[in-house]
Amino acid sequence: MKSSPPSKKNSILPSLKENWITKNPFEEFKTFALSTPVLPLDQIVQSTEAIMDRIRWGYEKLLEEEAKELVWMVQYNTIIKAYEVAEKYVKEIDYTAEDIEDFCFALENTQRIPYLIPGPAGIYISALCNYVKEEEIVLKLSELKTEINLIGFRLPKGKRLMIEGDTGDFTGIGLEGGELVVEGNTKNWTGAGMRGGKILIKKNIGLHTGEWMMGGEIYVGGRVRGLGNIVEGKVYERDKLVYPGKVRYPNLYY
Amino acid sequence: MGKNGYQKQARGIYQFISEHLYFNRPDMDIKGERFNSAILLSLLTGLKRGKELIIGEPGLGKTTSAEYVCCLIYQFPLGVIWGSEVSGHPEQTEEKIIGRPDLGKLNRGEEDVVWTNFSQIPAKIVDEINRLPETKQSMILDGVDRGNWEYLNEMIINEEYCLFATANYQDGGTNTIIAPLVDRFDVMVESRYPGANLSFLIGKDKRKDHVLRHPKYEKDLYHVLKAKIAYEKKISKMGEVCKAYGEYLDETLGVKSFQREDRDQIRTEMENLELNLDASALTRMVLAELSFCERYGQKRVVENCEEGCHYTGYLCHQIKNCASNRLPSSIKQYAQGLAWLLEDSEIDLEHILAVLPYTLAHRIQWKDEILSQKERSKRDDPFPIFLAKEAVKAISHRYREQSEHLKDALAVGSKIFQGEELEPIEGDHPIYLEVKKDIDSRKS
Repeated sequence: MKSSPPSKKNSILPSLKENWITKNPFEEFKTFALSTPVLPLDQIVQSTEAIMDRIRWGYEKLLEEEAKELVWMVQYNTIIKAYEVAEKYVKEIDYTAEDIEDFCFALENTQRIPYLIPGPAGIYISALCNYVKEEEIVLKLSELKTEINLIGFRLPKGKRLMIEGDTGDFTGIGLEGGELVVEGNTKNWTGAGMRGGKILIKKNIGLHTGEWMMGGEIYVGGRVRGLGNIVEGKVYERDKLVYPGKVRYPNLYY
Repeated sequence: MGKNGYQKQARGIYQFISEHLYFNRPDMDIKGERFNSAILLSLLTGLKRGKELIIGEPGLGKTTSAEYVCCLIYQFPLGVIWGSEVSGHPEQTEEKIIGRPDLGKLNRGEEDVVWTNFSQIPAKIVDEINRLPETKQSMILDGVDRGNWEYLNEMIINEEYCLFATANYQDGGTNTIIAPLVDRFDVMVESRYPGANLSFLIGKDKRKDHVLRHPKYEKDLYHVLKAKIAYEKKISKMGEVCKAYGEYLDETLGVKSFQREDRDQIRTEMENLELNLDASALTRMVLAELSFCERYGQKRVVENCEEGCHYTGYLCHQIKNCASNRLPSSIKQYAQGLAWLLEDSEIDLEHILAVLPYTLAHRIQWKDEILSQKERSKRDDPFPIFLAKEAVKAISHRYREQSEHLKDALAVGSKIFQGEELEPIEGDHPIYLEVKKDIDSRKS
């Protein structure tokens, strides 16, 4: 009996293993001409370092010019003066929100920045945040050992600054309509002198909260240790309006 | 493009609804033109055979907007559309939604199905879908997905169909829409309050939708729908009546509606529109952010993000669930429809960005902390659409920052797939890791 040749019917699938080619999921980019002949990562690193040098230089200049007064005594006019100096340097730099975060880490983790002083650093970081192109800035500061003071100073309308971690004294002072969110705790004088905008503190807040605030709202997810002398504005503690309302005596522990 | 004037016809329908039937404020800006999202997306749903979920307060035109679109795109008189709607209520049954036994034949010992109007006509509306209990929502799952309607071992298949479902905001009588059903909707849109002045005008003119009624054709169509003939034959008979009704609309109202052949031609034209490289790269970026998890391989609703993850700045850190495979198809479908309507030769970034929030809004499950963080934000949209718009804004920002780098990474990926010995381009966004994973899977 003659054996019939193997049937070629139903051979929809390729017979050879080599014919099984995985579909190229990037097919449509086949003809795209690469814009970067060198490794882009190198370029990114190079440009980031150049920007970081400029940011660092501005900070060193601020320390040289203003640090002494801020270290010893925080007065509103010294803060304004220091901020003006910071503004001057910051305006000249082309940087992104990511560079600000890198700078925060460089403050603690590199030898190239001589010292971290919480006050001037906060003023300088605030100026960086206020002048950066992006409207939303996220700073992951939870791994910093030092709590930075004065962060969010004069945050303007349209900006949203989110901080992961705790901040020090004078957080969000003089806020000018922006939105400041702190995922952790803040210390004393938070929101002092703020004129508008919103401060959202996820955990607890210290004494003198909202001292001389002229407008805006402070939301606290945890406890408010003490309110300051508030002129106008609202303070909420765990969704409950605590100012205006049945005012607690400022700075009483409870 | 646009040689046969179909786009003009579609715009004519949009304009007629907007000016005479559904007063509204435009709320979408696309390439310098302003549209009302509810009408525009309903129009695209009708033309693209999509599925749309319309939400909103009671009495703000959720159902009526869908009815007008169905009338004018599918040439069914308003009375037939009304008679084919399924209304969601707890006592709803399969017999009222899909079909029932033919009682006359059953008496003679034979089994036959009398299909409902809803299962037979291509323009389907489910009113107040979230008043259906969860168990009964699953009755329409299969039909919604594939156009297959089964009863008593018989089946009819809708070759052409679109679905509009309306849902009220949560109240005492509503249920949640089950996740698999939600995912089957291509878009979600809000039928919004038109403002006090337009609302006042609506109140003045009570029976404005009467112009879309035609008792004779309605009777004829009911007759066809009830006829005991094969479904395929019914389709062609219905087509004849619909065509006559279309001519009536043209003569009396000056609105040119679409016949079956027109709709098929439009769909072919839409299918020929492809995403350009930017649109493709952006869509991939969106999908990566909505599905990526470095630790667990992909997002899963039962797994939480770990502390200290490197990718906390991306959407994957803010959401609970993973994007489904229906999402890219919805994005492409509606972007295709929009590009076609605007007479563009390809799908570009603006088309994608315009439709993205509406394709994402109902699908993303946000983490509780994100919801509580943003619920008090000043906004103009319902919360889920607002969140989706914010998310799209953030991704679009990220895309603009690194579009060239990302396209390079995808191009290098393609070259590696073609056999070139190159290293994949790295970057901080999850999409670069996804590219790498695809390349690695090929190597192994």
